[in-house]
Amino acid sequence: MTAALETHGLGKRYGSQWALRECTLEIPRGSVTALVGPNGAGKTTLLRLAVGLTRPSAGSVRVLGLDPHADAAEALPRVGFLAQEHPLYGGFTVEEMLRVGRELNPGWDDDAARARIAELDLPLKKKVRSLSGGQRAQVALTLALAKRPELLLLDEPVASLDPLARREFLQSVLEAVAEREMTVVLSSHIVADLERVCDHLVILATGRTQLAGSIEDIVASHRVLTGPRDGAEDVTRMHEVVRESHAERQTTLLVRANGHLYDSRWTVHELDLEEIVLAYLGQDAARRRQAVAS
Amino acid sequence: MIWLSWRLQRTETLVVLGVLVLLTAWLVPTGLNMWDAYQHNSLGACIVHAAPRCDVAIGLFRERFGGISSLASWFNLIPGLIGVLLAVPLVSDLENGTYRLAWTQSITRRRWLLGKVGLPVVAALLAAGGMIALFSWWRTPTAHLDGRLDSGVFDTTGTVMLGYTVFALGLALALGVVWRRTVAALAVGFVAYFAARIMVDFKVRDHLVGAVHATWRGRPPASFTNAKVLNMIATIHGHRVISGGGFLGGGVKFQAPNFKNAIFHAVYQPESHFWPLQLTETALFLGLGILLIAFAAWRVLRTD
Repeated sequence: MTAALETHGLGKRYGSQWALRECTLEIPRGSVTALVGPNGAGKTTLLRLAVGLTRPSAGSVRVLGLDPHADAAEALPRVGFLAQEHPLYGGFTVEEMLRVGRELNPGWDDDAARARIAELDLPLKKKVRSLSGGQRAQVALTLALAKRPELLLLDEPVASLDPLARREFLQSVLEAVAEREMTVVLSSHIVADLERVCDHLVILATGRTQLAGSIEDIVASHRVLTGPRDGAEDVTRMHEVVRESHAERQTTLLVRANGHLYDSRWTVHELDLEEIVLAYLGQDAARRRQAVAS
Repeated sequence: MIWLSWRLQRTETLVVLGVLVLLTAWLVPTGLNMWDAYQHNSLGACIVHAAPRCDVAIGLFRERFGGISSLASWFNLIPGLIGVLLAVPLVSDLENGTYRLAWTQSITRRRWLLGKVGLPVVAALLAAGGMIALFSWWRTPTAHLDGRLDSGVFDTTGTVMLGYTVFALGLALALGVVWRRTVAALAVGFVAYFAARIMVDFKVRDHLVGAVHATWRGRPPASFTNAKVLNMIATIHGHRVISGGGFLGGGVKFQAPNFKNAIFHAVYQPESHFWPLQLTETALFLGLGILLIAFAAWRVLRTD
């Protein structure tokens, strides 16, 4: 079975600026993947490329085995997309928005859409313009879900929401995944939210993929080592060092371990996901500072 | 898609209908008055027989309705107004980012665009058709008196309004697709429409179809009646006594005794050129409009 989303050397350039560069990743079907990275890392660009809103400048992207641009007629009904600003027609009532979904999607599930709106206590006759940010996000999500997509792409879906609306929104996504086989990719820079919802993680930084895999594997393979200053080389030979810091007599290494770490000279600590993500983003920031300085 | 395009164009369509209703409310009573005066004084018969009492009747008619007639030249703005207004749904979709919503449903961009452009084009043509019908009826008495080449009549009858409306729509669409700002595209589109119209009215129209060159002494040729004179020279014994252009040729003008020996040279568009001129100008504006719409569509399909 083909991957839900697969990219090879994918790049997008606007003028002379690369918004995304050399991005190669594979997101398995049935996963709920968090796409993490600082602002400007190319998360939005990647998702837009996946749904065919944008065309690649380099490399290739395939969703459910299809080219989102060339095979748009076939791919679009199977991919749901929620843009960051939750675009909806402000002058339409909630009911009219549902009609938009029905008119534009052959696979539209009207009963499910109405049930969701009723469950959320959203007023059908009210204009979208007069809804709160959280309600608008829910209407937009309803539209994306009632299309019954195999792959759902959510671009910073909770960024503009208050903590309560954020929690409710992510809960809705979780429920939808539980109900039906569906792959979800959601981008965010709020790691704490994602851990509850996602089982896979992609870290995108400076427009390149830094790390991709299941959250379980990622947490299991990252360790902090503290030990003698002169012993670092043995570790770097075997394992990938994400971050290192040196004090007078001791060295602290954050490594992605290849296999087990057997070395009595080092003390080993575990980390949580947020610490790992921050380490990667910190590494990226340092690299960017270097690039600016040189 | 048709429902969505219609729903998003509803307000603009209602505004256009409102404009047409206002126009009708003004044109019908004034038009009835004009027809009434025209028939009451049997002006139709006057034109054919040119009886002496007719000059007075025609003069009175002109005096009474001349003001209204020239007021009606403001109606040249209406096709532009309607055209740019109908571009609003597409441009505001781009401005507000709601096109991303439409493009990530199950329909392709091409189908979306077809509804988004097709519907305003149809609406523009229908509105123009309605205006043509209305103005043609309203203008008939004046057209009988002064011919149909006077720009007040020419601009509002025939087929040119179809071209004008589609041209204005194309202008606003092309500007809007590039700028993605509705108000700016509308304002500049409207000004550009008006500039193009003035340009064509004063500089281009007279040369769209080859003009007639004629030389005569005494009685002018029949085709000179109600012709649009581009240039005319009259000489008596080699001395130039008249030179000029930009007026309508009349059957009785320049037949005064002191012009008896004058030789006239004139370049003019005879009234029989009405349809060739109309169709050429319609094709010109319609063609430009279609080009602009095609450009807008191409830009939208290429949007990243």
